[in-house]
Amino acid sequence: MLKFFNLIQNENMKIYRKGSTKVMILILLTLVVTVGLIFKFGTKDKPITSEWKQELIAENQQYQKQVEQSNSGPEKKYYQKEIAKNEYRIDHNVKPVSGKNIWNFTNEMTGMTQLIIIFTIIVVSTSISSEFTWGTIKLLLIRPVSRTTILLAKYVSSLIYSIFMILLLFAFSWFIGGILFGFGGADILNLQYVNGHVQEINWVLYEFKQYGLLCVQLIVMVTLAASIASIFRNSSLAIGLSIFLTMAGSIIIQFLSQFEWVKYVLFVNMDLNQYIDGIPFREDMTMGFSLSVLAVYYLIFAIFGWLFFTKRDVAS
Amino acid sequence: MNQPVIKLEHVSKTIGKKTIIDDLSFDIYGGEVFGFLGPNGAGKTTTIRMIVGLMKLSKGNITIHGHSIKTQYKDAIKHVGAIVENPEMYKYLSGYQNLIHYGRMISGITKERIMEIVEVVGLAERIHDKVKRYSLGMRQRLGLAQGLLHKPSVLILDEPTNGLDPAGIREIRHYIRKLAQEEGIAVIVSSHLLSEMELMCDRIGIIQQGKLVGVETVRDFVQSDETMQVQFTVDQPSKASQIIMETLSLRHIKHNETIIELKIKRDDIPLVCESLVHAGIKLYAITSVAKTLEDKFLEVTGGSGIA
Ligand SMILES: Nc1ncnc2c1ncn2[C@@H]1O[C@H](COP(=O)(O)OP(=O)(O)OP(=O)(O)O)[C@@H](O)[C@H]1O
Ligand SMILES: [Mg+2]
Repeated sequence: MLKFFNLIQNENMKIYRKGSTKVMILILLTLVVTVGLIFKFGTKDKPITSEWKQELIAENQQYQKQVEQSNSGPEKKYYQKEIAKNEYRIDHNVKPVSGKNIWNFTNEMTGMTQLIIIFTIIVVSTSISSEFTWGTIKLLLIRPVSRTTILLAKYVSSLIYSIFMILLLFAFSWFIGGILFGFGGADILNLQYVNGHVQEINWVLYEFKQYGLLCVQLIVMVTLAASIASIFRNSSLAIGLSIFLTMAGSIIIQFLSQFEWVKYVLFVNMDLNQYIDGIPFREDMTMGFSLSVLAVYYLIFAIFGWLFFTKRDVAS
Repeated sequence: MNQPVIKLEHVSKTIGKKTIIDDLSFDIYGGEVFGFLGPNGAGKTTTIRMIVGLMKLSKGNITIHGHSIKTQYKDAIKHVGAIVENPEMYKYLSGYQNLIHYGRMISGITKERIMEIVEVVGLAERIHDKVKRYSLGMRQRLGLAQGLLHKPSVLILDEPTNGLDPAGIREIRHYIRKLAQEEGIAVIVSSHLLSEMELMCDRIGIIQQGKLVGVETVRDFVQSDETMQVQFTVDQPSKASQIIMETLSLRHIKHNETIIELKIKRDDIPLVCESLVHAGIKLYAITSVAKTLEDKFLEVTGGSGIA
């Protein structure tokens, strides 16, 4: 156990002493500030008037037209969701809040997790494959420590890095949001659309849920990257392939959406937000289904990565 | 000294269809420096990779202090310090951080121990510099330091003098000899510098195309032959040559203004001396030109071609 702690310390030293890691942190912080400034000064916000109910009704009529005209499934579903939310506000007398407040901003910033996923993919891929490209693997493996433990230390330290980045993102976007839009307002209610029903949820809780779901996606993607890195032992390939798959995933599934088996494709199940605030990709898909599919993929990635790292000769 | 520290038993390695190492068996004992010699591509590095567990054996077994590398890897490897090919380090870390890194992987390495070994390899002044600013020789020294950090009883060095200056080579050579003699460490060294091996090793194993051609002690290796190359320094070389040719019934002897050089049986040397003195030739010196390991090596491996 002490050994494992030492190994984590080693991996951390290798991650954080690298220049590229410092650049990643800087990019994240700069983006939060930049988006915050654009959000505050760059966009006009419709003021909420006392006739907000009439406005929502008008908006819904507009949306209804869109639903009838549109022939794209996801677009239709999006407008249906917005209509349902507006109707809920009218029926339950829940006044919309201004688009510019600290919680709204931090909620927008959860989207930055995608960037953190890419950063972590880079970190885990280099952590594994650069040992091979630099040749340092030869000195790393000839110690009284099993290859499994060494790989696990690399995996865990990369996940620690991502947790650090997410905490940093949350804290920093809350801080910047507070400075730009004022602190407070944690009691504002948000609406979420679950299985065709609208529910009320506290902003703070909503955000934690968002982060939680993104973390599932993060873990799966990082594991995929780690296994590609240990199979090919090449950082650029591992980084390129994982990022390409992340980006191209949504395009690929659009092409495949007519087939039933598309529901078993990794990327269809990756976005768990579809069950919290949105419309599932296919009607027969549920949160439980997606989690099971992801678990199977996770196991496959983990087993392949482990096998290739521990069993294959270090020959060059 | 009785029990071998490292034991290779019928070790083979096949990659694809190619047999790279073919039925290699030898033992290495504590306190000796074993030289591993062979032309490029003979399989020295491959053998070393198998000993330290980077490559699996296709056949056979390797034990270190009785622990099989296949089944008791951790117990076997904890006795070993090694450099495999070039000592690649984390370039963006300092030499000191690199040593901390390897020290953390073994229990009981203190900061004092790290600084002690840094002194030994002569890197104290530059140890806090980034490794990317090191010269090849400095990296080699750092590699040696990481191998010696945990006071191993087996030291495996793949071409350790590569990149060192003559003073550095001498230093390392003395240090390796000292480790073997004073601390009873078993050392395996592979090197291209054949003259190096001669000065550093107790025994030499020659490997060629994956097969062990022979294992001999350095002394036997160089002087096993009965005949030796001898130079006679005399005042009248042509006359002396005639006399020697008559005495030994030879047809031709090489000579210049002062020196006659010939291959001669050990027992014939006094005979030649006698007849030269008898003929009134002044004999200033008799020197034996010992065959170098290099000559012998080329003789055994049949030239310098790459396997
Ligand atoms: N990964 C590999 N796949 C196939 N063949 C290999 C591999 N690695 C080494 N070889 C072959 O094995 C043989 C032995 O290589 P090795 O590196 O052990 O030689 P060496 O004795 O260390 O040579 P050198 O003196 O040049 O360092 C060579 O013929 C080489 O081509
Ligand atoms: Mg070699």
